[in-house]
Amino acid sequence: MPLRQTNRRMRLRRTGIVPSDARVRHYDELEEETQVAVRELAGRPRTAPETDDLDDGDVVKFTDYYQVRAR
Amino acid sequence: MSDSYVIIGDGIAGASAAETLREEAPDAEITVLTDEGESLYNRILIKEYAKGKLPEAPISIHQESWYDDHDVDLRLNTVVVDIDVENDAVHTHEGETFEYDSLLLAIGGTPQQLPVDNADADGIHHFWTFQDARRIKESVEDAERAVIVGAGLLGIDFAAICGAQDVEAKYLMRGDCWWRYALSEEGAEIMHDAMRERGVEPVFDSGVDHFEVDDDGHVTAAIDPNGERHECDFAGVAIGLNFNTELVEDTPLETEDGIVVDEFMRTNLDNVFAAGDITTFNDLVLGERAKNGSWGSAKEQGTIAARNMVEYGSEAFEWVSSYSITHFDFPFLSFGHPTLGDDSVEATTAEGEWRRVALKDGRVVGGVLIGDLSPQSAFKQLMREGRDVSDQTEVLMEPGFSVDDLAATTEQQ
Repeated sequence: MPLRQTNRRMRLRRTGIVPSDARVRHYDELEEETQVAVRELAGRPRTAPETDDLDDGDVVKFTDYYQVRAR
Repeated sequence: MSDSYVIIGDGIAGASAAETLREEAPDAEITVLTDEGESLYNRILIKEYAKGKLPEAPISIHQESWYDDHDVDLRLNTVVVDIDVENDAVHTHEGETFEYDSLLLAIGGTPQQLPVDNADADGIHHFWTFQDARRIKESVEDAERAVIVGAGLLGIDFAAICGAQDVEAKYLMRGDCWWRYALSEEGAEIMHDAMRERGVEPVFDSGVDHFEVDDDGHVTAAIDPNGERHECDFAGVAIGLNFNTELVEDTPLETEDGIVVDEFMRTNLDNVFAAGDITTFNDLVLGERAKNGSWGSAKEQGTIAARNMVEYGSEAFEWVSSYSITHFDFPFLSFGHPTLGDDSVEATTAEGEWRRVALKDGRVVGGVLIGDLSPQSAFKQLMREGRDVSDQTEVLMEPGFSVDDLAATTEQQ
């Protein structure tokens, strides 16, 4: 069950620079439900419930690099 | 006395097995042997490093301290030269012997070299390890013109690397389109356009007859079978893998394009298991033996193998894999076994969006999605369920397709 039992929501912001200390996840590493969220959020001003396999500050490689913000 | 587990290979299959073994057998002795000089790294992301898009640090997954923390004996730069299955022991190049109660072979493959003259010249690269990625990055940064060979999922990484590093490239393909075993020309053309936008020109009905080199032995050109000369100072070759079965050639282990395992990842020997690229496994979803080289599949196989090493029969491998290409401004995803099956259906669903679904006996066994990945979960669900869709394949091509659409169609009939 990759959806977290929290009230936090996440968004993805395109990022041009990947910090050396960032945890970077490729789309193929993610749980199927997280993949759905990434497809929905990438490049769009939307939020979705936080997922188990992404944390605030993580960077996701999809069609671009996206930084996760969870609040 | 605690059990002793030896794992050969520290890729994602071997590493996930080590992690699972530690969880399932807290007191066991676990040894991981790898011929590489670094511990587990993210093989999916090394192409991003070669493109110049990622620094090195995020690519590492397990620091060496991870192995200490989990009481796993990691041996880097250790080449296994012999497996003695009669005495349950493996021997290394330095004369060390590791005895085991249970052995996992996660030994992967090695990139194939083109069987042509000068195929091993300087400037000609194959892409498998992080060390390969470092060499490729260094070489391509100094290059002006490149040639790429291998019209598949690995070859396109070279195209993306050249594009990202502003190197003009000719992508030599044997057929009339990229990944012709899974895509029609219509679908492939979307990929060709994306390559062209990045300065990579597909050349069809081509290939390499031989390479030319300068006095220093550095590649200067690829000559295709039609006699066309393609100048280059960098060449990327990705024509497939040789699976590392030579290690088991003198053992009774069954091989068939890899090491044969059952759905519990066990070989024909009771205490020898295998996981990852090396396996030819009993694919419960497909209903026949299959191979899979995806990261997710290897990770799951490592986990499943470990559980069955502790208690055989505890969990079967039943997995629908997928593999994405994220080099372009649109997504690409293949799932299951898109090159297999006895029938297929395909459609352009919108501008820049295309899909193809491969069917076997009326059931989905794989496919490719370009541009719109939204049906991914639905198609994977159909594969897991083994549902017969032979009389409603056109529904699979509807934009926004979901499994519910299929059920509604069935009820109407």
